[in-house]
Amino acid sequence: MKGIYNCEVIAHSEVSPGVIRSLLHCPEIVRQAQPGQFVNVRVAATTTDPLLRRPFSVHAVYPNEGLFSLLYVLVGRGTALMNKIAAGENVSVVGPLGRGFDLGDSTGAQHIIVAGGCGAAPLHFLSDRLCALWGCENVKVLTGARSKNALLCEAEFISHGVEVVVSTDDGSYGHHGLVTELLQRRLFNSQLETHNSQHIRVYSCGPNAMMREVARIAHEAGVPNCQVSLENNMACGLGVCMGCVQKIKGPVPGDTSGNNWHRERVCKDGPVFNAEDIIWD
Amino acid sequence: MTKPDLSVNIGKIKMKNPVTVASGTFGFGQEMADFYDLGRLGAITVKGTSLEPWSGNDYPRTVETPSGMLNAIGLQNDGLDAFVNEKLPFLRQFDVPVIVNVVGQSVYEYARVSEVLGKTEGVHGLELNVSCPNVKKGCLAFGNSPEGIAEVVKAVREVTDLTLITKLSPNVTDVVSIAKAAVEAGSDALSLINTLLGVAIDPWRKKFRLANITGGLSGPAVKPIALRMVWQVAQAVDVPIIGMGGIMNEMDAVEFMLAGADAVAVGTGNFVNPMAAVEIIDGIEEYLASANISDVKQIVGAVGK
Repeated sequence: MKGIYNCEVIAHSEVSPGVIRSLLHCPEIVRQAQPGQFVNVRVAATTTDPLLRRPFSVHAVYPNEGLFSLLYVLVGRGTALMNKIAAGENVSVVGPLGRGFDLGDSTGAQHIIVAGGCGAAPLHFLSDRLCALWGCENVKVLTGARSKNALLCEAEFISHGVEVVVSTDDGSYGHHGLVTELLQRRLFNSQLETHNSQHIRVYSCGPNAMMREVARIAHEAGVPNCQVSLENNMACGLGVCMGCVQKIKGPVPGDTSGNNWHRERVCKDGPVFNAEDIIWD
Repeated sequence: MTKPDLSVNIGKIKMKNPVTVASGTFGFGQEMADFYDLGRLGAITVKGTSLEPWSGNDYPRTVETPSGMLNAIGLQNDGLDAFVNEKLPFLRQFDVPVIVNVVGQSVYEYARVSEVLGKTEGVHGLELNVSCPNVKKGCLAFGNSPEGIAEVVKAVREVTDLTLITKLSPNVTDVVSIAKAAVEAGSDALSLINTLLGVAIDPWRKKFRLANITGGLSGPAVKPIALRMVWQVAQAVDVPIIGMGGIMNEMDAVEFMLAGADAVAVGTGNFVNPMAAVEIIDGIEEYLASANISDVKQIVGAVGK
């Protein structure tokens, strides 16, 4: 059950310029969190500006120590304030929230993770859990970024024991091009991939344009299960305000307006959705 | 000293304490029931419910502003049938009055939704939402004039005996004349304020931040305006008032009651602290006990100059 927890901030570390990993102590969240879920942190406890909590995806859990980590890019006031909470201070955390990734229910599947930029944050937790469940030999990570400096979590993915293929937009490291080109290659080059597409599962997090392309490629390849983790602007994070909605195929029951779509809450019905259900704007 | 009496009445609705939640900030209760027993609340006010499902406005729908937020949700909801069949059974299991916020694009829709809810077990009151700034048809179009508000209240009054609470807009020049019109037309109580119309602009992209351009401002930033309007209206009418607008803690709630509110609603505060409403109930009790006040009703309108 989700709750509100006072979590001790253990440490912040700068993993690359402008990218922070924060380590927090909270055995309750560590016990409950599933890959793809997020927590909502009150980064300004004593003022009303900023007023709202900030959502952060769970990057890793360390069950023996009761610790979990968040990985984020310093982009605005919320992330800057998060980074300034001193080690040893407590911070109010609501979570774990949202619907995480469906990890499958049988062995024999090939699990392909497609990460873009800071979208690698929740996929690191996913990779760890998939490895534990289905064996690292069945998990592949395709991860991309603008340039080598912006690439996240490569070493951590490798430390899990999974195969990792890298791309950069500027060609400074790995494949020169988009990470979606790696997916295209992987799914359509029969010399590289001997598995039947029916047994492939794709998981993705990154910029919307990238995930839209991941969804298209997976669909064309006949992959039956492609999941994407969205990041819409949230107010409550709890599912009560209806602010962070995404257009989803199909009408709601009883809708006589003729709409062949409806809106679902990214914070509660997601952030992970089946790619086939999404209407990409 | 014995525990202070926290109970209040809003029309025929008997609240065990003066704290409810603001419509649209609490869904239909399911999500918040993860955090506490909903039976602790004085009442639950659920999200705006229309005759047919509404899909709401385009995304982005919310943006944070200094000590507040703008929303332009557009009253997305799955409609009356879904509320009665899917949401209400969950709420009936708690020992708490349920107030349904009613929205419509026409007087007929307000009356039809109200008539059905008036005959539905487990609904204790109706909050007529004639003040949402985020829909193009209906709603605020009725709430921004005495004539419009009277038309809706009269039509609903004719079809139900449920306690009617009319939710007033702050986006008017003279809130008192509109409050009086609602009461004369048969409203048993008033709630105020709804959100204040505002915009936010992204200076780098040179674009409005909300897809709807305008949205409703809520949160601590609006509290002084809400307090002023509650105080003005409380001087002018003789029906119970539910005050709301930026209530984050028990002292905010007490201010509203001193200004003339018989009960209060926690809105945006639920987003910041999901436990806010129940912490405010406890805090009001502690305030009364420490001030040696035996009944919360004694502080209603007790502000001095």
